[in-house]
Amino acid sequence: MLKTEGQNWIHNLRKRWTMLYVLRILAIGLAIAMVSSALLIYLMHLPVWLFAIVLLLVLAVAFFIKPIWKTTDKDFSRFVNNRYPELEESADLLLRNPTELSMLQQLQRNKIEKIIPLIPKPKEPVKKLYTGLAILLAGILMSFGITKIPQIQKAYHSEQENQISVPSIKENVLPEISSLNATIIPPAYTRKPERKQKEFTIKAETGSKVNWKIETNISIKNVKIIFNDKETISLNAQNTDKTLWFYSKTVSKSGFYQLVLDGKKSDLYQIEVIPDLPATIKITQPKQHTTIDVGQPQKINLKVNLSDDYGVNDAFISATMASGKGEGVSFTEKKLSFNTKFNNEKSIVLSKQIDLKSLGMKPGDELYFFIKAMDNHGQSSRSDVYFVSIVDTTELMSMAGMTNGVNLVPEYFRSQRQIIIDTEKLLKEQSSLSIEAFKTRSNELGIDQKLLRLRYGQFLGEESETEIGGDHEEHNEHAGHKEEEEKFGDVTAIMDKYAHKHDIAEDATFFEPEMKAQLKAVLTEMWNSELRLRTYKPQEALPFEYKALRLLKDLQQKSRAYVAKTTVKTASLKPEKRLSGELDKITQPVQKMSSEQKDQRLIHLKTSLALLESRKSGKKFMEGDRFLLSETEKYMIGAAADNPATYLNALTSLRRLAAENKVQSRDIDVVQQAIQKMIKGESAKPQMQSAQPASALYQNYFNNLNKAGR
Amino acid sequence: MDFKYIVLILCLLLLAFLLYKEISRANKGRLVWRVLASLIAVICFALLIIPVKYETSLRRNANEITLLTAGINPDSIAKLKGQKYSLASADLVNAKTILIPDLSYFLATHKDIKKLNIYGNGLSDEELKSVNGYEINFHPAAKPNGVISANWQHKIKTTEQLNVQGIYQNTSNEKVKILLKGLGNSIDSLSIEPKSDKSFSFNTQPKQTGKAIYQLIALQGRDTLSKEPIPFLAGEQSPMKVLILASFPDFEYKFLKKWLFENKYPLAFRSQISKNKYSTDFLNMDSLSLNRINASSLKKFDVLIIDEEELAALGGSERAAIDNAVNSGMGIVIRILNAKSITPISGRFGRFESPVPKDKQLGLLLKDENYKFSKLPLEQTLFLKASQNDQPLVADGSGKILVNSTIKGSGKILISSLVSTFNWLLSGKTSDYTTYWSEILSKAARKKPEIQSVKTTPQFPVINEKIRFVVDLGESGKIPKLKIDSLKLAPRQNIELPFQWDTTFWPTRDGWNNLSVNQSTQSFFIYKNTDWQALRNQQKINFTQLFIDKLKNQQRKTTITDISFQEDVSPWWFFAGFLLASAFLWYESRILTI
Repeated sequence: MLKTEGQNWIHNLRKRWTMLYVLRILAIGLAIAMVSSALLIYLMHLPVWLFAIVLLLVLAVAFFIKPIWKTTDKDFSRFVNNRYPELEESADLLLRNPTELSMLQQLQRNKIEKIIPLIPKPKEPVKKLYTGLAILLAGILMSFGITKIPQIQKAYHSEQENQISVPSIKENVLPEISSLNATIIPPAYTRKPERKQKEFTIKAETGSKVNWKIETNISIKNVKIIFNDKETISLNAQNTDKTLWFYSKTVSKSGFYQLVLDGKKSDLYQIEVIPDLPATIKITQPKQHTTIDVGQPQKINLKVNLSDDYGVNDAFISATMASGKGEGVSFTEKKLSFNTKFNNEKSIVLSKQIDLKSLGMKPGDELYFFIKAMDNHGQSSRSDVYFVSIVDTTELMSMAGMTNGVNLVPEYFRSQRQIIIDTEKLLKEQSSLSIEAFKTRSNELGIDQKLLRLRYGQFLGEESETEIGGDHEEHNEHAGHKEEEEKFGDVTAIMDKYAHKHDIAEDATFFEPEMKAQLKAVLTEMWNSELRLRTYKPQEALPFEYKALRLLKDLQQKSRAYVAKTTVKTASLKPEKRLSGELDKITQPVQKMSSEQKDQRLIHLKTSLALLESRKSGKKFMEGDRFLLSETEKYMIGAAADNPATYLNALTSLRRLAAENKVQSRDIDVVQQAIQKMIKGESAKPQMQSAQPASALYQNYFNNLNKAGR
Repeated sequence: MDFKYIVLILCLLLLAFLLYKEISRANKGRLVWRVLASLIAVICFALLIIPVKYETSLRRNANEITLLTAGINPDSIAKLKGQKYSLASADLVNAKTILIPDLSYFLATHKDIKKLNIYGNGLSDEELKSVNGYEINFHPAAKPNGVISANWQHKIKTTEQLNVQGIYQNTSNEKVKILLKGLGNSIDSLSIEPKSDKSFSFNTQPKQTGKAIYQLIALQGRDTLSKEPIPFLAGEQSPMKVLILASFPDFEYKFLKKWLFENKYPLAFRSQISKNKYSTDFLNMDSLSLNRINASSLKKFDVLIIDEEELAALGGSERAAIDNAVNSGMGIVIRILNAKSITPISGRFGRFESPVPKDKQLGLLLKDENYKFSKLPLEQTLFLKASQNDQPLVADGSGKILVNSTIKGSGKILISSLVSTFNWLLSGKTSDYTTYWSEILSKAARKKPEIQSVKTTPQFPVINEKIRFVVDLGESGKIPKLKIDSLKLAPRQNIELPFQWDTTFWPTRDGWNNLSVNQSTQSFFIYKNTDWQALRNQQKINFTQLFIDKLKNQQRKTTITDISFQEDVSPWWFFAGFLLASAFLWYESRILTI
């Protein structure tokens, strides 16, 4: 059927719309796919073809969400009707078969067919396409940016590596060797798989077994391997052609080795051993010294981080309890386990609650503990010792500290103890008291506590109206009760009333700052206890009272100067007899010593430095210099056996210097650097300053000057 | 009779004759003019014969030359006018200049030259001598880019610090990095801003014994601008001999004794155990009697360490012996404990007590080198006062002095109120301990006279240029045998100082050379022509400038006399006058009168 003009118009409109939409989706999809695949490829190092899959996926999702191809001309006629009022809601007439239309419909259809060419094409799809393209551009930029990230990182890393990395040796392999297979089998406890490598430079865990399988391209009579320039081992051929050689060794120390094929020596290759470190223990809780006060739960929460390079095998707490006093101290040791299984984790967080009561600790006892951990190689390590002590209340209450020695603050001190005793008594009698009476007594105790606090406040230079929380009015009211009746005409009393009297200045500076800080802490505790007492919670007040008492006692101990009595009586000295004894039988001791000639290492190394320096300027080595070089080489072999990474390069260079006639200044530099590292730690020595040659003229001049000065 | 007067008389006769003719002439018209013309003609004729001189202060340009020396910018040559001469050392290839192979010869053969305009870096010392007396205009070349001043110790003792100092002049528009490199290691570096001068100072403790050549490298980006050699010698030396007299043995002495013993210093240690009874240790040396201190026993030591109590307890003769020994060069280190001095020798230093600082630690620093020690756990209350003639060595953070020194005779007195330094050793700060005692003992010890000393000039002797050695000998009157390789040098004795000899040499080999003086050998370094280029150029400019400044001071007198210089008036003037006057006479008689 031939399409009418109107049908064509709607159809074309739809086609255009769909095409633009598809283009837009493609652009957006491409953008999303590029960014996401750039992330996947460059950051997670996945293969490149992933991009195609991602793109397809994105497109599929996009088209699944909005299946545009499903739209029909009818849908479009509806859209056009909505969009263009000019069509007078009759676009669908265009799609209908003209023959089926009624008269009126035909008229209408003819009318709008004339309007159709005048209607502008919708602009939204184009606009949307532009946004799609913008997104694509952004996507391209982003993915480009992502591809640069690894390069930046690399640059950053390489910078770091350059600083850290030791000068690695470029391996020179003898031409006779066609291939090498070195197998490193780390010990079982490291749980690392065995690995193979083609390079001669070995880096292995302590105790690893290293197998060398060397294939040569021609038959070789004997192959030797020399370790650290000392240990020479002949290898056995594995086949009759004598081209396959095998050697196996367990390495436990860093060093270097060298292959000798029919007397032809190879380069030096380093063996670096990665040591197994013992487990590290970090106790995050509690603090190194913990004191448990009265009222606090007698428990400690222990939190430990353990870590090891291969795995933690076991850990336990070793606890020691000290109880008793003076000479009657007894110690009990206990091993507490963590009650967890160790599966050779590399790092583990352990926690345990230690109930001090169940350990049998009483007030006054102390607990010392440390943690011991074993790694899976059987190396053990232990932490610092931590201390936990429980405060002994009876000790605090005892008068032992005060009966002897100087008592700085006896009166007040007893009061704090009295408050504690009263509080405890009140608590005991609580059941037999009426609520009213209980409250009154608690409040009274609070008042006592306050008075005490104010008195201590005076030591700090506080005025009677205290700054630490106190309530001024109440104090005055209370004080009023106790005050004696004023005497009539007592001038000082009247003056006191109106004058704002400060404390005596001497009192304010009576204590050292350290003591003042402690006093302040006491006041805070007292204030806390007072608060509880006043709010009728004596039970809660008790710990604060105790703490205040303990701090006070510490304070008292500190401020005391104690001089023990001496019982020894010495005879009085007679000065005229001093140093008048007969000394003729006393011989005068004379010691003579000479420091033995120490090894010449330092001297040799220092001279060889200068020798190399002269070699740099082109001077050839003499016979005597050869001896010095061989000595230096000996020292360097020793150093290289311990630290191959640092000294092996230099050793190779040194040998090359000694052997060859042509000199590369780089070699000399490397050797000089290594020698300086070997010398390190040379400290200053006193040196005599030199003067001009002593001429008689100068001496005369000096003498004449001296004479003139007199 | 003078020729001048004959001429004058003849001229007067001629004039009289001419005047007579004029007056007697029939035509009396224009008589005044004719008489005047005759007069002028005769005067001019006379002056034509007799040269007329007059005094002038005019400067003449005829006798000056433009001299180009090394360092001149080839582009600027074209801008200079006139004939240009250049020295062979200038090495100008394409410029149209007349080459002067030898300046002094050239000047001697061209006596007319009075003035030199010198462009470039200027002249060398020798050349400057030859231009003495000339008037010189110096136009120095652009400031050299590079190290323009440098100095370091050419000889150090092992474990001493090498100190390389100098100034870098960066005239370029980019940053320059200078780097001290030695024994394969980069030691220190400094970056210099564009268009600026910066002084640098690098310190290092060289590890070798013997000769070494460090390098001072200037880098700009990746380009190496220059690589200057820094040759020096690190030598071992016989250790100083130490005597310790203690009133009682304490840990300070014990550790000091141990350290000196381990470093193989000869040491005698005496401590009193009872009245006139001593315990004596002889370490690394032969024993001698130390019961009584006398001049002969003190002669064997370079430094004496003593505490004040012991010094006070010594007898008068012993103290006099110590006094004499110090006067003749021995050093003495006195340790004090109390604020009151009890001996005259330690009383030369004032003391005071000051309360203990809050952290109760003593942070010390070395005065000269600004070296900061790690803290000592001491409560130091006793400090020293510095007077005008003292050199404080060690002070605490707030500048209170703990170790002070002064000279007495040719020796030194050090006084220390620091009680214990061994805490450094106990806390593992060995380097602090060794630095402290090295400084103290080095400062105190008797100076060791050299057998001979050799000085070389210039500072940077260059291959194929003259080098001068000045040799100081311990004893005068004996001609030293000087030899380089197998070449014997002839020394010349200083007129005033009979023990000083000098000689010159033209080295042909760069690098280390050996000069043997009598039996011992001294090394000196000859630089390549390209080494320290900027520095030598700057020095040349400076020397030339200095020389010219000096010359100007002298010349100010000579130029004043030169102002009254007589000049001939050109005879052409008179000839012209004569011609004109005669022409008038002839013209008047032939044409005007007809």
